[in-house]
Amino acid sequence: MKNRYMKQFTAMGLFAVALWTAACGGGTNTPTASTDKGPIQIWTMEDSTAFTALMQDFTTKTGIPVQVEAVPWGNVNDKLTTAVASGNGPDLMQIGLSLLPSFESAGALLDLSPYVKDHPGLQSSNYLSAVAADKINPSGKVLSVPWVSDVRVLFYRTDILGAAGISSPPSTWTQFHDDAAVLAQRGKGKFGYYIPQWDSALPVEFTWEAGGNVMQNGKVTFETPQFKAAADFYISFYKDKLVPTASDFDQAQGFISGTAPMVISGPYLAAAIKGTAPQLDGKWNVTTLPRNQKGTSLFAGSNMGIWAKSKHVDASLRLLDYLAQSSAQLAWYKAANELPTAKTALADPTLTSDPMVKTYTNQLQDAQLLPLVPKWDKISQALLDSLNSIVLKGADETSTLASLNATVSSLQT
Amino acid sequence: MTVTAARQEARSRLVAFRPPRLRTSLVPYVLVGPALLLLVTFSVLSIFVAAAVSLTNLDISGLANFGAVRFIGLGNYQTMFSDPAFWEALGNTAFFVLIGVPTLVIGSLIIAIALNFSRSRFFRALRAFYFVPAITAIVAISLIWGNLYNSQFGLLNWLLSLIGRDPVQWLTDPTIAKLSVALVAIWRGSGLDIIIFLAALQAIPPEYYEAAAVDGANEWQKIFRITVPLMRFAIFFVTVTTLISWMQFFDEPYVLTQGGPVHATTSMSLYIYQQGFRYDEFGFASAASIVLFAIIAIVTALQLRARLESDA
Repeated sequence: MKNRYMKQFTAMGLFAVALWTAACGGGTNTPTASTDKGPIQIWTMEDSTAFTALMQDFTTKTGIPVQVEAVPWGNVNDKLTTAVASGNGPDLMQIGLSLLPSFESAGALLDLSPYVKDHPGLQSSNYLSAVAADKINPSGKVLSVPWVSDVRVLFYRTDILGAAGISSPPSTWTQFHDDAAVLAQRGKGKFGYYIPQWDSALPVEFTWEAGGNVMQNGKVTFETPQFKAAADFYISFYKDKLVPTASDFDQAQGFISGTAPMVISGPYLAAAIKGTAPQLDGKWNVTTLPRNQKGTSLFAGSNMGIWAKSKHVDASLRLLDYLAQSSAQLAWYKAANELPTAKTALADPTLTSDPMVKTYTNQLQDAQLLPLVPKWDKISQALLDSLNSIVLKGADETSTLASLNATVSSLQT
Repeated sequence: MTVTAARQEARSRLVAFRPPRLRTSLVPYVLVGPALLLLVTFSVLSIFVAAAVSLTNLDISGLANFGAVRFIGLGNYQTMFSDPAFWEALGNTAFFVLIGVPTLVIGSLIIAIALNFSRSRFFRALRAFYFVPAITAIVAISLIWGNLYNSQFGLLNWLLSLIGRDPVQWLTDPTIAKLSVALVAIWRGSGLDIIIFLAALQAIPPEYYEAAAVDGANEWQKIFRITVPLMRFAIFFVTVTTLISWMQFFDEPYVLTQGGPVHATTSMSLYIYQQGFRYDEFGFASAASIVLFAIIAIVTALQLRARLESDA
């Protein structure tokens, strides 16, 4: 009997100690911050060289060494699964916005809300409204903070449009479709526009532009007149043979060769064109998306989060704070061509002086996130499958969209 | 006396110390033990784990917190059987098997017999040449073939344009894409099958052919009366292994088309992969893999039975 009481006492004692430690950890953070010298490990996307260079400045300033590991986009999910299953992850990681729901439902991210007060860089007001804290987090939590942004704009070939008698890029849906029709008449194997068959964001963008939304009461739905308008618009490009049907059509190649002189893409395409086809300089430009009711574009990009089981939370928070600063965001833009998310960085003259970047930043003011729900991956695949079977296999539009709606609602029960 | 007694005792002790029969019969188990242990741990056990997981709703949140995993009985199987994509994947796999396996087995056999006609330097070079696809990395293969097939700037369409033909949508048209992907797999799989056939061919004693030549048999008669019957076991082996690998068809569609256009090249394995590693539906993917496992087991058992019957 005595033994059992002893055990209970010990357990209670331990619990009290744990509580006390937790309270200290939450409240008085600053004294421990300077003692945590890492080293911290961070997972970033693709290229680690540029990020390692950025981290040198951080290490000089804080004395915290940072190990950078690059994860290819294709392997992120595998990497996450292994890390969650084994419990061994990095301290920090870059999370593509589309992967955020997976990371959140895996419980992989630390709730940063207790720390925001002491780390001004993490405050939501610093960032673009599209990635405000309430839009990227489950209510009441801060699981990640914005890092880089990416937005879709209309790329067009000024030389080809000019030769076809189109003096300015399309600014409305009607003009967009009409211009594409004119450009497609240049001859066999020439198109007006290109729709990537893997791009599930495009029909959603069209829905936003038609004045609608694909999220209603926390659930994804395509049963709206605005989505119908978007689907019709999407299908019309195929129906009138204005876009290539080949699934292996290369967007950058098509734009450079002029086969598809209008495409909707992000700043990475601009980098690809500048890199592979410098001779096209001055023959192409970007503009904000053609409008229907609205001109809303897709906000893509990445956040940064702290691994839930990180042993270097304080050092990691300092890194997040560092990355949030305008200087780091601009340095990263310079090194990797990825746009900042911090408003001050976006307003910096180094960005605003470039007319193309100006277009991106303008479009960023009117850009939305894809639905951040765990089932989005499956739902968006069903969406693409339906639209593609209509345009490529000639499936009946009404019945295909009806079965899409059934699939989407069954996926969310 | 004492010496004899001592000898006798020693002899009887020797007899007593003779290893019992049990021990001799243990030897084979000790020898196969390590292999068996590996097989049980990584194959048999994982099948049982998959079978158990297939009855749950395990996904990524369940992986992080086992408390969230629920037993859902045959729910995954019900969802799967009502998923048209599952049936399409099953149909595609059947299509790939029906196209790929006969082509590969018969084609490899013909090439092996042709290669066996001579042992000159040229033929030996040819043998190495036919084996190259089997040892080339799949990523390199996908890059090369992807560029050959490409509808915009692919070599095949450029060659077609030289003779005034319309471009072919190699990886875009649902039916042609299936054939294009199967062709790459046949090309890649042929190397190994040819080597196995060549080894079997070279094991056939030349006396048989000499005797047949004395009897006045021509080359065709030699092939059909001697070579093919004596290669029955090799043909059986190649058919079984090729069939199994085609039922698990994965690499080529994964790297060339990712299962597209609109599921046209999604095989069962790719379907399982997508469910498990793209959507993180581990329970559902386990259910699908159990179904594939059952199909492969049944088909292989039927083949073994057929062989036993034909031998009897």
